[in-house]
Amino acid sequence: MKSEKVDFLVVGGGPAGLSAALEAGKRGLKVLLVDEGIQLGGQLVKQTHKFFGHEGTYASVRGFEIAKILVKELKEYKNIETRVMTSVVGIYEDGVLAWDRKVNETFRIDPEYILIATGASEKYVAFENNDLPGVYGAGAVQTLMNQFGVLPGENFLIVGSGNIGLIVAYQLIQAGANVKAIVEITNKVGGYIVHLNKIKRLGVPILLNHTIVRALGKERVKGAVIARVDENYNVIPGTERELVVDTICLAVGLSPSIELAAMAGAEVIYIPELGGYVVKRDEFMRTTVPNLFVAGDVSGIEEATTAMLEGRIVGLMVTSEKKKVNLSDEIKALLKELEDFRRGPASERVRKGLSKMGIKIASGGFRTEVQKSKGPIGKLRAVIECPQPIPCNPCETVCTFGAISTGGNINGIPWVDYDKCTGCGLCALKCPGLAIFMVKEDVERNEAIVGIPYELLPIPQEGERVVGTDRDGRPVCEAVTEKVIKSKDKTCLVYLKVPLEYADVVRGFVISPREKCEFICRCEEVTVQDVEKAIDEGYTDYEELRRYLRIGMGPCGGRTCRLLTLMILAKKTGKKMEDLSPGTFRPPTIPIPFNAFSEGDEN
Amino acid sequence: MVGASVAFHLTRLGEKNVFIFEKNYVSSGSTGRCAGGIRQQWSTRNNVRLAMRSVDWFKRMKEDTGMDVEYKQGGYLILSFEEEEAEEFAENVKMQREEGLEVEILTPKQVKRRFPYVNVGGLKLATFCPTDGHANPHLANFAYIRRSVENGAKLFTKAEVKEIDISNGAVKGVWTDIGYVGCEIVINAAGPWSKEVGKMVGLDLPTESYRHQILVTEPLEHFMDPMIISFSGNFYIRQTRHGSFLMGQGDKDERPGINRKVTMKFLLEMTSKMSKRFPFLRNLRIIRQWSGEYNMSPDAQPIVGLSESISGYFYAVGFSGHGFMVAPAVGEAIAEWIVFGKPRSVDISQLSLDRFKGKEFLKEKSVV
Repeated sequence: MKSEKVDFLVVGGGPAGLSAALEAGKRGLKVLLVDEGIQLGGQLVKQTHKFFGHEGTYASVRGFEIAKILVKELKEYKNIETRVMTSVVGIYEDGVLAWDRKVNETFRIDPEYILIATGASEKYVAFENNDLPGVYGAGAVQTLMNQFGVLPGENFLIVGSGNIGLIVAYQLIQAGANVKAIVEITNKVGGYIVHLNKIKRLGVPILLNHTIVRALGKERVKGAVIARVDENYNVIPGTERELVVDTICLAVGLSPSIELAAMAGAEVIYIPELGGYVVKRDEFMRTTVPNLFVAGDVSGIEEATTAMLEGRIVGLMVTSEKKKVNLSDEIKALLKELEDFRRGPASERVRKGLSKMGIKIASGGFRTEVQKSKGPIGKLRAVIECPQPIPCNPCETVCTFGAISTGGNINGIPWVDYDKCTGCGLCALKCPGLAIFMVKEDVERNEAIVGIPYELLPIPQEGERVVGTDRDGRPVCEAVTEKVIKSKDKTCLVYLKVPLEYADVVRGFVISPREKCEFICRCEEVTVQDVEKAIDEGYTDYEELRRYLRIGMGPCGGRTCRLLTLMILAKKTGKKMEDLSPGTFRPPTIPIPFNAFSEGDEN
Repeated sequence: MVGASVAFHLTRLGEKNVFIFEKNYVSSGSTGRCAGGIRQQWSTRNNVRLAMRSVDWFKRMKEDTGMDVEYKQGGYLILSFEEEEAEEFAENVKMQREEGLEVEILTPKQVKRRFPYVNVGGLKLATFCPTDGHANPHLANFAYIRRSVENGAKLFTKAEVKEIDISNGAVKGVWTDIGYVGCEIVINAAGPWSKEVGKMVGLDLPTESYRHQILVTEPLEHFMDPMIISFSGNFYIRQTRHGSFLMGQGDKDERPGINRKVTMKFLLEMTSKMSKRFPFLRNLRIIRQWSGEYNMSPDAQPIVGLSESISGYFYAVGFSGHGFMVAPAVGEAIAEWIVFGKPRSVDISQLSLDRFKGKEFLKEKSVV
């Protein structure tokens, strides 16, 4: 059996593993990174949204772009070897056994240090018929859609409103699917408010205190039954209702993939706040086994940004020990940054979980008040709708005029100094949460300009009429596309002209809302609007409308549409129903096939 | 359609003072009940010329009116099941080709190959003209009316002409049930009611209206391009753009008069005959049957001209079941007559009423 001797074995090529390999590799360690996927990057490769954080942690860069950057940097170091489609089968006292699936060969690794950065797997949820094709984990949907370009369905129900559920909903809509609803069993949305607002603006209903009861269908999913739950999460009988969906996407959380670490003898402990069983580790990511480290989701479900920071800490720890160099300043700086990322209210569970492992994280110390002023009416300016402290500050750092501040801590809620804001719109383009809008009122003309960050296709043309929608995705007014700013990272800033009273209302738009179609002739698909338009064009007799629109010419012979058409005609022309001609009635009463008649009779 | 076409051409030539009186609604006469065939294969030169000129107008109807009237040049396939008729077809084709029409003569085998959905049993021969076609008669009728109105014509529906005011042998105006209108020219394009409108000026037009019935099926995906007709087989059929099949036949037992009821006899004869000739119909369902009139003239050719006895009285009547398809050219001729003093684009001199005065006349045989 081939064997490889390395300083540092990294198991898992996601954000934690890549970051650790890089820190150690660029300091000269011989590193081997193995990953069981077909490409490096882990979950990053399917993250099409922009990340939070700051410039040093790839804020405002899309996840798959971060993976590209890290992998590209990794390839620059000859002392870092990477092997994809390669699984570590076990970590034994006498060595590590790996299996290269590309060539179906096992080989032996003798590392001095090991990082287990195996991430997490998706949690499942039990409900009737959950074995039907069409029931997917959210991660599987992301893999199919974002990694392989396959949209697994058209109409989705998403179970779970954590960040993954919210993000997948947004990505599905970007990919052209319909998200019929997100059900959330608790009484509050789990994910970030800005992620939530993004999909609310697109009109996706979020049903709190709701769960899935069963999937419908025989061969595959044809629908789902959802229901309301009580405070103990039990279904309230009688509240069940059906949704017509072809795909059910489960986003009910992640379980740390601790198996390999546990096999290696690392102690695992049950900490629900961190996702269940996690690998016990100290603040420097060291497990209870000497020279065995963990980083990322395997030691507690968190985010790619913290995983990268943890990975870097491990890379530095291993380097300092192997090379006997002092890297404590660098490590401390990263620990400080980790702490900053975990200060906010969104990390409360993580802080609680880590404290159970004896790791104390400070909280608070940042601005939590939302700016009351929305700036001077009439001035083109940024309006920030980011009400929840999250560790994120690209708006602050991108502003060349120093007009935006998070108040000295990255978790602080950003405020705008309206004396300094020039209305350039850079912050709106940069904001990963798409939470900054540009507004300018024109009181004299009774109109306003609203700039909206936009990441869907098609992009409206300048001058194109659209329908402005509010924060819940409801159509509220007509709007005209004034200007479209396109950026390299594919976020556009679309400036709409809206009526003045909608300056603080319109926060989205739809390009081609489904035209109003109230069918009155179901056979020939003629709508109320068709009939009204034809009457306006001068067709004012039922028979004329029939000949012009085909109304009543279908198989039903006008049973549905005749009266409805006449009523519209009466209303529009001001004539009495009694004075209108109902047109002719012709046999047959029901459609009858030729072969229902005797064919032999020539007479 | 004839009246709409006269109005269209008059307004196209700049005439603004055009009033259209319709006693019911647009297309309520023969046009709104017809199958919409547009055929140039006729047995008399007059009809061939009128039809060819009309095809020129159908081709440009969309740009002329801004309305898609579902015009399709899918050809006309005429099937003959009798020796004598087949021989006449050969003569017709010769004459039609002299007039510049592209027409093919097809053997039953050729018909089978090109139109496999036709049962060719008993077929003697067929003729096919690829530039023949069909259109949606309702839409074509609306299109000419709408464009006329846009050009300045006044349209009055539910407005019946009751009497024509004549003074010193000349038209002075018309009384309608919505009032009196003074005018110098009246055009009788009353279709089934042509005789009645002739009587209003004391003119005895030799026209009679006969009921013809028609039915329509549910739609199929499009596969039948041509209109397929047979005089000896007594049927016509075409597939509309919508996908439904329209078909009908003539009935020698019909009595003259307006009768818009429908009969069981028609339904039984058609289902029997058509499902044998077109086996694909057997599983297809019939949605509706209705009827309309052929306003027949003695020789089955239109009667078009200016009255010799009443100054200002034109007639365009007796189209004998093919008024829709020749209406564009007839309307053009009358409009030119009014505006320029005589028709310019097509010669209609042989269509005048006096052809019946004690002379022999040539009957058009190609009528279903």
